[in-house]
Amino acid sequence: MIRLERVSREYRTGAHVVHALREVDVAVERGEFVMLMGPSGSGKSTLLNVIGCLDRPTSGLYRLDGEEVTALPEPSLVRIRREKLGFVFQTFHLVPRLTALRNVELPMVFAGVPAREQRDRARRALDAVGLSPRATHRPDELSGGERQRVAIARALVMDPPVLLADEPTGNLDSVSGGEIVKLLGDLNRRGRTIVMVTHDEGIARVGHRRVRLRDGRIEPGEGP
Amino acid sequence: MNPRDLFGLAGGALAAHRVRTRLTVAAVAIGVAAVLLLTSLGTSARDYVVRQFAGIGANLIGIVPGRVETTGGPPLAAGTERPLTLDDAEALVRRIPAVTLMAPLALAVTSVEAGGLSRAVTVVGSTPEFVPIRALAMAAGSNLPAMDSHSTAQVCVLGARLRRELFGDRNPLGEAVRVAESRFRVIGLLAPKGMSLGVDLDEMVLVPVANVLRLTNRPGLFRIAVQCRSFEDVPALEADVRRVLADRHGEEDFTVLTQQAVMASLARIVGLLTAALAAIAAISLGVAGIGVMNVMLVAVAERTPEVGLMKAVGASRGQVLALFLTEAAALSLGGGVAGVVLGLAGAQAVEVFVPALRMASPVWAIEAALGVSLLVGLVFGALPAVRAARLMPVEALRGRR
Repeated sequence: MIRLERVSREYRTGAHVVHALREVDVAVERGEFVMLMGPSGSGKSTLLNVIGCLDRPTSGLYRLDGEEVTALPEPSLVRIRREKLGFVFQTFHLVPRLTALRNVELPMVFAGVPAREQRDRARRALDAVGLSPRATHRPDELSGGERQRVAIARALVMDPPVLLADEPTGNLDSVSGGEIVKLLGDLNRRGRTIVMVTHDEGIARVGHRRVRLRDGRIEPGEGP
Repeated sequence: MNPRDLFGLAGGALAAHRVRTRLTVAAVAIGVAAVLLLTSLGTSARDYVVRQFAGIGANLIGIVPGRVETTGGPPLAAGTERPLTLDDAEALVRRIPAVTLMAPLALAVTSVEAGGLSRAVTVVGSTPEFVPIRALAMAAGSNLPAMDSHSTAQVCVLGARLRRELFGDRNPLGEAVRVAESRFRVIGLLAPKGMSLGVDLDEMVLVPVANVLRLTNRPGLFRIAVQCRSFEDVPALEADVRRVLADRHGEEDFTVLTQQAVMASLARIVGLLTAALAAIAAISLGVAGIGVMNVMLVAVAERTPEVGLMKAVGASRGQVLALFLTEAAALSLGGGVAGVVLGLAGAQAVEVFVPALRMASPVWAIEAALGVSLLVGLVFGALPAVRAARLMPVEALRGRR
């Protein structure tokens, strides 16, 4: 499903060059639940952003679902983000002025889904994360856990094969966090490929496999 | 993205940032209103100057009989010149559409008597148009009646001093005065004016022109005065007058008098005022544009993370641009319309306080102000969004600019 070969990502900050990723090789099979782990600054979020097509690698090859992504022009990346990938952020990134339902509809708005279908699919997605009763609330009227469920519903509403989550429990208490992880586990059991960043060893055990990064490199022993 | 979603999202964003929306609309409105008000002020100031010059006769032409020229030796054939007649005068009105007012003029100096008092004054024979052409005002009663210029109605209008000398404090309206040997009924009184072009307008009596021609027993007029709308039309009018009269007389045996010096300086002043007006318009448009630009840049730039999120959930650059363009267009249009209303109201207010300035907001100023504010609003509303949309989503989400 996901193949990265010798992928590097460098940032230039003034005179410095920060090597966020150094020739990383990662492979994730369809239906896997992979945990990306490592101390802060190890490059795990950068790796997830590259996988999610939110960032471009400086060098290396990235193949998603058989498609060579690294070389694709912007319009193709837009299509891949719409159809292949759902992204969940640590800080939710909900649009504060929109209701939960409307936030979930947002990807369909850009995909050009007809209005009636948007509503139906958004309701079903909210239902799937157990948030139907809160559909008309705005993010600031929801708890952290509820917000993250809205974000997950938004990531799933286009029914992408791959779900990416960047420390989805990082801003939640342990109870809400546990529920989110359980939800992700359920989604994975129903066939969704999930890659999730976390630094919580307890949560990481939910995944099938852990990939550890340090200083932009995959730590040996638990390689691809 | 269907239109319902486009307008829904754009409208929602405007409603959610109420303060920013109001500030932006206000910035655009103030810019547009300033442009309108300033150009209206400039235009009306220029018109005011032109009107003042019109008051001293810049848009007047005089025609006198005889050719003013220097020839060698003594005049050869005296009496070849033909007089200017009432028919000549009426032909000018009939055949030249640009003529707004025309007054034939015949003069005689004779005694005017009333109640045993007698005074030698200038008798001005003309038509009712003489009063507006000379910028005179009626103090009481009525002007000469509108009439055929051949009419010899025995009515007259008295100059201010002549009235005082003959009647003192009595009301002369309806009384009779004797001019030369004829009785004239006083129907109107002129407001004081003073000397003008060699005639003491306070010490005169105005009667229908044919009376004076009969009194002097000559067919020729002293002068014909012709007025057009604006001093800028004078050269064309002058050419028309020459053509019509030469046509009637078979040769140019008359002289056309224009106020060359006045017209030349007026043209210079108006040219300067027009240039100043253009500068005022350009500066105020520029200032308004910069104001709109600043508000737009700030308003959109701080939403870079939102652009990042949109892209992360599958928005294309074009869709981001469409959203922000819709917002910017709504802000600019709203502000523009408010600004036009504000500017027109401001112009009205100025006119209330300074009635001498007849404020007219030029249509080109409205168009230019709206056009510039829309253009600037769209460009600077969309530019930061385009920039943000070019970033990779992760950079935009971090709020990097």
